[in-house]
Amino acid sequence: MKQETTTPAVPEWFEARRKPRARIVARWVPWVMVGIPVLVLLAIVVYPTVWMAYHAFHDTNMMGLFTGRYAYVGWQNFANVLSDPRFHNSVVNLVWYLTFGATLEVLLGTALALILYELVPRPGLRVVLLVAMVLPMMLPPSIVGVLWKFLLQANNGAVNHLLINLGLMAPTERIDWLGVDLSLTSLIIADVWQWTALPLLIVYSGRVSLPPAVFEAARVDGASRFTVLRRLTLPMLKEIIAIAFILRFMDAYKFVDKVYVMTSGGPAQSSELPVFIAFQKGIREFQIGEAAAYAWLIFVVAAVIITLFLQYLKRVLKAQAFA
Amino acid sequence: MSETSARLIRILLLAFLGVWLFFTLFPFYFQLITSLKPVAEINRMVPTFWPEVLVPGNYAGIFADPGSLKALQDSLVVALANTALSLFLGTLAGYALARYLKGPVGENLSFWILSNRMFPPVAVLIPMFFLFDNTPWGTDSYFSLIVLYLVFNLPLATWLMMVFFRDAPVELEEAAYVDGWKPFQAFSRITLPLVLPGMISVAMLCFIFAWNEYLFANLLTGTNVKTFPVHIPTFTQGSQTLWNLVMAFSLVAMLPPVVMFILLRRYMVRGLSLGVVKG
Repeated sequence: MKQETTTPAVPEWFEARRKPRARIVARWVPWVMVGIPVLVLLAIVVYPTVWMAYHAFHDTNMMGLFTGRYAYVGWQNFANVLSDPRFHNSVVNLVWYLTFGATLEVLLGTALALILYELVPRPGLRVVLLVAMVLPMMLPPSIVGVLWKFLLQANNGAVNHLLINLGLMAPTERIDWLGVDLSLTSLIIADVWQWTALPLLIVYSGRVSLPPAVFEAARVDGASRFTVLRRLTLPMLKEIIAIAFILRFMDAYKFVDKVYVMTSGGPAQSSELPVFIAFQKGIREFQIGEAAAYAWLIFVVAAVIITLFLQYLKRVLKAQAFA
Repeated sequence: MSETSARLIRILLLAFLGVWLFFTLFPFYFQLITSLKPVAEINRMVPTFWPEVLVPGNYAGIFADPGSLKALQDSLVVALANTALSLFLGTLAGYALARYLKGPVGENLSFWILSNRMFPPVAVLIPMFFLFDNTPWGTDSYFSLIVLYLVFNLPLATWLMMVFFRDAPVELEEAAYVDGWKPFQAFSRITLPLVLPGMISVAMLCFIFAWNEYLFANLLTGTNVKTFPVHIPTFTQGSQTLWNLVMAFSLVAMLPPVVMFILLRRYMVRGLSLGVVKG
């Protein structure tokens, strides 16, 4: 497909009368159009981030902030955070949460999307099932937390009694879903319930938009469905799956709505995540210096991931434009 | 692969889909029946999976409560104002980026704008809390939420509008210039109608994100302004949660996003994947 060799879509007389872009509007106009959002973002994202960087090196607390009295303490706040067992614990929790949350969501979402597309014969039924499976995404994450907290109650929760009714559990047994051992697992269950829908939706739509001719050719050549899946479908969906994964990963990394609603980090800090601790330190305990150190550690990790992701996204979009 | 084992695998996979559907829909079913039960039935030691009494009055109950109506109103004001602002600024910037600033500077700028959406809001929220605290209207106001929701909605709107404007053919605009149209006329009368479906879906995505937001609203507001995700957990009587009202209200509040999604599924997928999936 060499497009440059085909005749241009516009005739030559038109080409001759075409005004250069730069002269249609004054040069500064597009810069102003972009400039307003850029200024807004500088004010509400960059300025606060710099503010946090400043206070990460000061022993700021609530009183200090209002009286303007706080002292430079160097890397003390970072040292405090990095040596805090509460922080170590939250990082371990985060690793579990991201591995079992985000990874499971993408694996399940991809599998379900492909099963739905390949094995459900009627297109109308496919759309109905897709909408049904995407419903959880439409609830606010906090309400999902409320809903699962209700379902997972130990004594008269629906999940325990459903397991009993299905014969999977003895009638006297009660699983303490929100207790120390399982609180993080319960958070992950609620997250998987809600967000498997996103990779599912993205991969399903990606599969729909693949060219049917390729699959037709493979079928004519007698390739088995498994070969088609391994050699054609998955390689062609590779980028889309990767992007779905990173989108989920970033969201799971930064949002703690469910932690607030379902467990408040407890019991006994068993489900705390770093972002949650940063908010608690900053807005509930007013240890602004330490909260800023937390925020900056989180920010730096995010910056690395985002930079890598955006380079990848750039490559994918460029490849798409030339495909 | 033999015929029977292929059929077996097919049945197993479809069974997996069925199990997942059950897992997805069971909480909704339980939410629905809980919203229709009286409090006494909810508080039993053994929950009933098939309600004995249906009380549709719970739905009337939430609308009789002035706090609930205020919560819906607050959510609506914040979400609509923020959506309008994001869409307006995002459309202008997206158009400029797609049509004029196509060099490396414009490209890097567009990626920088997008990156703002992806950073954890924790570094933004704590300073803004103290900043808004020093303003005359305080943290607990429409203003603070409308402005702060721009943190995630403005980058999204700008990026997606840029993607949609790139899809719209530039030749039509150029034909208009040849006919002597002004740039703004060409923009508003030719290109804008072309990207209208995209614009509507961007508006709906922004609306859904603002409508469902909890973290900022929970930490910044709660007395003067109380959006519904903050309001719902407060349905209590003493130490007891009124689960029937909680569930009824959540189902009502879920309706706008669901209707929007069903209407504009394809465009929304485009938006949710940052423009990569054509949908």
